[in-house]
Amino acid sequence: MKLKLYRVDAFTDKLFSGNPTAVCPLDKWLTDDLMRTIAAENCLSATAFYIKEGDNFHIRWFTPTLELDLNGNATLATAHVLVNHLGYSGTEINFNSRSGMLKVKKQDDKFTINFPADEYERVKNPAELSIALSARPMECYRGKADYMLVYGSEQEIVNLKPNFRTMAMVDSRGIIVTAPGSQTDFVSRFFAPHSGINEDYVTGSAHATLVPYWAQKLGKVNMSAMQLSSRKGYLNCTFIGERVELSGKAVTYLVGEIETE
Amino acid sequence: MKLRFYHVDAFAEKLFSGNPAGVCPLDKWLSDDLLKAIAMENNLSETAFFVKEAEGYHIRWLTPGGLEVNLCGHATLATSHVLFNHEGFTGDEIQYISRSGILKVRKNEDRLTLNFPVDEYERVKTPAELAIALNIQPRECYRGKNDYMVVFEKEEDLKKLKPNFTGLNMSEAVGVICTAKGNSVDYVSRYLIPTGTINEDPATGSAHTTLTPYWSGVLNKKEMTCVQLSERKGYFRCVNLGDRIEISGKARTYLKGEINIEENDTH
Repeated sequence: MKLKLYRVDAFTDKLFSGNPTAVCPLDKWLTDDLMRTIAAENCLSATAFYIKEGDNFHIRWFTPTLELDLNGNATLATAHVLVNHLGYSGTEINFNSRSGMLKVKKQDDKFTINFPADEYERVKNPAELSIALSARPMECYRGKADYMLVYGSEQEIVNLKPNFRTMAMVDSRGIIVTAPGSQTDFVSRFFAPHSGINEDYVTGSAHATLVPYWAQKLGKVNMSAMQLSSRKGYLNCTFIGERVELSGKAVTYLVGEIETE
Repeated sequence: MKLRFYHVDAFAEKLFSGNPAGVCPLDKWLSDDLLKAIAMENNLSETAFFVKEAEGYHIRWLTPGGLEVNLCGHATLATSHVLFNHEGFTGDEIQYISRSGILKVRKNEDRLTLNFPVDEYERVKTPAELAIALNIQPRECYRGKNDYMVVFEKEEDLKKLKPNFTGLNMSEAVGVICTAKGNSVDYVSRYLIPTGTINEDPATGSAHTTLTPYWSGVLNKKEMTCVQLSERKGYFRCVNLGDRIEISGKARTYLKGEINIEENDTH
């Protein structure tokens, strides 16, 4: 069977930056096993598969090893493919997913995704994290899934060279590090050695914790953010009470056709 | 600028097995920075780029980390598959010009054959770090130019092998070839890369430059079949020609596409 496949860089307007993802439109669902196999063959952190359901779409995300509950990058990439390659002409796309209905809004060449805000509390910095990170943070918070460490300057975030082996001993999905930005309202990086990824390129879900924190700190509702990974990601964020809106652009790298036998 | 792009599984009997490689035919060379950016974006081990020249095809291989390597067997097999099946090459033999000199690939029905110089290796004591890292102890250990080769009693040992990669953090050797006599093929192998970001290679052409002369001597055979027992599995036929070996395998195309880049797109 032949299927269409797109490789798209999400949360960037520059090729070779942002988060690389794959998008595979389907007429009907493949077996879970085949979708996982395709995701593994793609060698990317996430591949989105979707089918059309009435006026809406049903979306599922796979890593090379498992199905995800939510993935912002691949959802943005899918919206980009629908609008730029498959002639979708509306300004809002509804995706039915494992995490319920996700609405993606299109405005000019930007797409906006809407997430529930994270709940977090101030905690003591865990000892392993102090050892894994050479620089001491000013504050440490614990959200539902991640730790968030706040530093004083963008340069400190750029300079961090974590010891991933030590960091992997910390029992949380990931570690967000953040500071005020020099060109954007805030900057961040996201480490997840415990989940098998030392550093993620762009992490939509980390902004569920970052946005409410910086909204309160800076007294702003609309903020610009940059994720300082090697590929860099650019996000516009809005805090709307219990939810956050993330918007960004995407660029197509490859348009192709795959064989699945 | 639009470029054709193929993603091919090499040393594969079926799709989703063997070793995936990217293949990108070019009319003329792009900047090294752009080749690097494309290889990193593909995130496949490796991406081959080639340009047709008077004496043959000039081929270069880049890793997903963006490094250019001296030789890559599976991406050369993948490139040959693309030339024979998608790019209209009509002969039976392709000549490549590469960092490792002239390489020739022959086609015989759906099998493609590479020709490599044999490795030189000698019997050594199993290094202590390696012994600690392996949960099953090998019967013999050899040291080739780039790799260690450890020989186990039986195929089942290789399947049960669960190396502790943290302990396998040795900088001096590129890889650890693990091998045993096969139950249904002549020999089986696995290829561990202690220092790599990927700890096990799915199908490793170059490992047979050490494996083939060794097993040829032990089994007293010139032609042998081999399965690499990685999760994806790799399938090889090898012939010992004395100072050179022939490695042959099949390839399957997973993706055919087009990438869209600008000259100034780099990281």
